[in-house]
Amino acid sequence: MKKTRLFYRVSGILALLTCILAFAGTDTPVKFNAPRGWPKPRYDFSNNPLTLHGFELGRELFYDPFLSSDSSTSCSSCHLSFTAFTHADHKLSHGIQGLVGTRNSPVLINLAWNTSFMWDGGVNNLEVQAINPLTNPVEMNSKLEDVINKLQRTAKYRKLFYRAFNDSIITSKRLLKALAQFTGNLVSCNSKYDSVMRHERDVHFTAREENGYELFKKNCATCHREPLFTNNKFENIGLPLDSVLRDVGRMKVTNDPADSLTFKVPTLRNVEYSAPYFHDGRVNKLKDVIDHYTTGIVESRTLSKELRRKIILSHDEQKDLLVFLKTLTDKSFLYNVQFRQNRVPD
Amino acid sequence: MKRLILICVFLFLLFTGFIDAPVQSLKPGSLSLRLRLVFDGKPLNLNNALYTDEHGDTLSIDACRFYLSNIVLTNQTQLIYREPYSYHLVDAEDSVSQVIQLDRVPGGSFSELRFLIGVDSLANVSGAMDGALDPIKGMYWAWNTGYINAKLTGRSPSCNTLHHAFEFHIGGYLPPCQTLRTVVLKIPVIKPNQEQIVSLNVDVGTWFTQVDLHKTNSVLLPCTEAMRLADNYQRMFSVITE
Ligand code: HEC
Ligand code: HEC
Repeated sequence: MKKTRLFYRVSGILALLTCILAFAGTDTPVKFNAPRGWPKPRYDFSNNPLTLHGFELGRELFYDPFLSSDSSTSCSSCHLSFTAFTHADHKLSHGIQGLVGTRNSPVLINLAWNTSFMWDGGVNNLEVQAINPLTNPVEMNSKLEDVINKLQRTAKYRKLFYRAFNDSIITSKRLLKALAQFTGNLVSCNSKYDSVMRHERDVHFTAREENGYELFKKNCATCHREPLFTNNKFENIGLPLDSVLRDVGRMKVTNDPADSLTFKVPTLRNVEYSAPYFHDGRVNKLKDVIDHYTTGIVESRTLSKELRRKIILSHDEQKDLLVFLKTLTDKSFLYNVQFRQNRVPD
Repeated sequence: MKRLILICVFLFLLFTGFIDAPVQSLKPGSLSLRLRLVFDGKPLNLNNALYTDEHGDTLSIDACRFYLSNIVLTNQTQLIYREPYSYHLVDAEDSVSQVIQLDRVPGGSFSELRFLIGVDSLANVSGAMDGALDPIKGMYWAWNTGYINAKLTGRSPSCNTLHHAFEFHIGGYLPPCQTLRTVVLKIPVIKPNQEQIVSLNVDVGTWFTQVDLHKTNSVLLPCTEAMRLADNYQRMFSVITE
């Protein structure tokens, strides 16, 4: 009698333990680690608890052309990992059937710190950003509803959503949260610049890099503020209006003439690899960017105050500045296998 | 000594209050808000029915949808009830959406109903949402993120547009282009254990107050005109007392 009771008790405890373990197994929490000394991330992962399976699902979705109306275009078609997730060699990104958009695809780096998204800041939260490419007729051209239904019909995604959310019902909220788990984790913080700032042993700027850094702090850092290399603001840097695209930038979303021709200050991390540059990809070389700042600025009503005072740099100084910008290259980011397509077994 | 007496009296009152409590019936119940969509008093029929607005324009309505959110019941001085996660998408095409059931409303009297037309700014910045706020509902702007608080579309010979269509998509949560509107309505005092139904007239005709459809027929962005239309539809609601 006593023996059977003990047996039941032990097996009961064992059953409970397996339940707990099984539950933990479906949901491996991961911590989002903000680099030391950096500001607090803007994106709140507590509303989108980060898990390994959530991240993997997000990555799978990011690389899957199935999300576009004709299964031709994935997020990665315009955001390639080796070029810091920009669309290399394309001034303006193109999507399904080669249709061309109106803007250059930006890098996807340290998005968790962005206060807004897109060149005009029209998007206020990383999660909802993805609705734009998914539904844009020249990008992926799907209806959100259709994407959900399409995914729901595949055993693969039912399984992946189940692993990530403990439920195989696919909703737009889960789709968007999963994508944000991936894109929000694209953190670049291991460039030479970072090693120098962290006073790592045997890592020093060369004399040219050091000089470039000083010039950068003097001329560029108010907008491209360290350590993220953006202050998340909108500025007109004196690029003349393109007569075909007629992109007025932030004014498009605010309707405020004071915002005419202002665009979001982009991060400069990995800028060595993110050509072409500017919101419409109008220049190809970093050297041309420097030329713009020193000799190409066009005066206008909304030109940034910062740039009304001419930036004068000698030939050598321009070279030093370029050399410094290359210290922002983070190979561990560009070649991170976690960020690459990693087919999960079906 | 005086204080001790006061404390005793207080405790006594508290105690008797406690015993008395069940008599007052604090049983939570449910309350239904029934919305009756009308145009200038006549029942609202979509598509073919013709109406005339204040300006004299003849028109028909193709679609009418709006968010009703943050429902609160008060007795003028005190908050009695606040609906948790209070977001409802009312659709002229869907009669189910025109009955809003509030659960666990405490018994007892209240005399004021408050709610917002539209989606509050917190929900506008909180990323991906589900339920009534799911972006697949078509009440969401993706490129300039934010909810469309209310939509009204239809046709009128006065509109010099393709198919004589007019389109009002009203949104904008950021000042100075805020289109969220608060509605405060006096409702008949509802006694405990009474059947709990409040019926509201929703008069779509108010949208057109001082609107000339010849000039104003496409409002698809936040700001000036959207704010004016939001001021108009703020007056859509009235309580039906039968
Ligand atoms: C057809 C090319 C294309 C595709 C496909 C595409 N994007 Fe983009 N992406 C862009 C362009 C162009 C922009 C800038 C748009 C703007 O500023 O108006 C952008 C902007 C972004 C941004 C904002 C970055 C910032 O710093 O503001 C994020 C995040 C992003 N895309 C993620 C995605 C995801 C996730 C997908 C897949 C669901 C995706 N993109 C698919 C071209 C594309
Ligand atoms: C007034 C603020 C401001 C200052 C000062 C400034 N920038 Fe910029 N920078 C911007 C903005 C805004 C853009 C995006 C402009 C656009 O595309 O329309 C930009 C774009 C860039 C780009 C292109 C990045 C990309 O991904 O397309 C580079 C490189 C760059 N800046 C480097 C510099 C350097 C080097 C300096 C100092 C000489 C500097 N910036 C000074 C605001 C500023």
